[in-house]
Amino acid sequence: MFSFVVKRLGFIKNIPLTALIFDSGIKLWLSVFEPKKLIWLDSLEEKVVSWEGVSISLHKFGGTQFNFNKKEIGHVHSNGILDVLFDQETKKHLMGKGEAEEHHVFKRSGWISFYIKSDTDVELALALLKKSYLRIAQKVI
Amino acid sequence: MFDLENNLNAMNTSSKSNKLLGFIVSNLLVLVIIGVNRLLHVEKNGVMVYSQFVILPILIGIISAWFWRDLHLKTKTIIGYSLINSLLAIALSYIFLGEGVICLIIVSPLILVFVITGAFIGKMMFRKKNQTINVSIVSLLLMVFVVDSISDHQYENMVSDEIVINAPPSKIWKNVVAFDKIKQPNKYWLFKIGMPSPMQTTVTGYKYGAGRKCIFSNGYTFDEKIVAFDVNKNLTFDIVGQPQDPEIMGHIDINRGQFLLKDNGNGTTTLIGNSWYNLRVFPIWYYDVWAESITRNVHLRVMDHIKKLSEQ
Repeated sequence: MFSFVVKRLGFIKNIPLTALIFDSGIKLWLSVFEPKKLIWLDSLEEKVVSWEGVSISLHKFGGTQFNFNKKEIGHVHSNGILDVLFDQETKKHLMGKGEAEEHHVFKRSGWISFYIKSDTDVELALALLKKSYLRIAQKVI
Repeated sequence: MFDLENNLNAMNTSSKSNKLLGFIVSNLLVLVIIGVNRLLHVEKNGVMVYSQFVILPILIGIISAWFWRDLHLKTKTIIGYSLINSLLAIALSYIFLGEGVICLIIVSPLILVFVITGAFIGKMMFRKKNQTINVSIVSLLLMVFVVDSISDHQYENMVSDEIVINAPPSKIWKNVVAFDKIKQPNKYWLFKIGMPSPMQTTVTGYKYGAGRKCIFSNGYTFDEKIVAFDVNKNLTFDIVGQPQDPEIMGHIDINRGQFLLKDNGNGTTTLIGNSWYNLRVFPIWYYDVWAESITRNVHLRVMDHIKKLSEQ
């Protein structure tokens, strides 16, 4: 469903609020059919926000965006897809180790996607975000 | 030790009151906005604009999030509280705005999703502690609400359905013009839960200009006037009087109805039912789906009955 909307109905993200409304629908769906995923995403958010200088905002295409010094570390959609931007070399390395997959839409970019499907995936997602956080923090500082 | 206990008690009381205020203030404020809107006669001919169903629920969510900002609520809790908020908004609409139960059932998914969206927008807004942005967002939403309320809203649509009847047009025609009570049980779920369904049609004469009445299950009657009477081919009637009830009939104006009969040349006839209506409730992308579904089921109930009578 998410994949269909993103790929085939991607134009609707340009209508103000639509992506956020779609994301709310996903949250509502999960709260009934997969409430554990909401708990995992809350736990991810709580841990990332505890890192120094990290703030969160709503991602323009729905979900939670993690920022450091106004730069995006990564974002997680409410269905559990974590998207993080790396350079091509890091992306290749992570994909080679099976720690990430190609971005669910922008396959040729440095963006990677990671699917949070279990409790243990939260730790792996945290590791990816930490890598991006340290990379951005090094550049800024 | 006692100080710590007292502080904890005070925090608990404050949390509880903030939680409650999130429900009460947000709903009351929105009720006041709608009340003022109605007092100033901003709504034209009872038109309910999209911002009432989009902006105001989002505002309920944002205002609630402001009261809940220090409670560190989990996502599931925010959704649960938003559900309570939506139920409160729906109950208040029933009590103070006179909306019908079926109408509120139709609107409830829309309200819930927008209240949730508002609650999460609010959660992020109040984390940033940037009051300028927060005031700007709320002001922008209110501005959209005002502009939308005073703008003209017009929407007309036509729904068409057809069925094949195993009878010639000459046998069907009299049943199209008028028919006795429909005795078949309702199949459409909205009719089953109480939405008025068509029951009977009467005419003052089988001619152009005659009066026609379409009587619904709750006794409401649509007064119609025949404006095209082409025997065995075309019956068109304008709706000259429509009941206004708090259910869906209060938000839709049926303008014209039509039955077209096409002889298929093999002893069967294609019966086409057309209805033209104006919607007085917005956004169209949501309500027209319902309006089309309801109109289609009115058509099919009547046309199935005509088929049954004609094939006897």
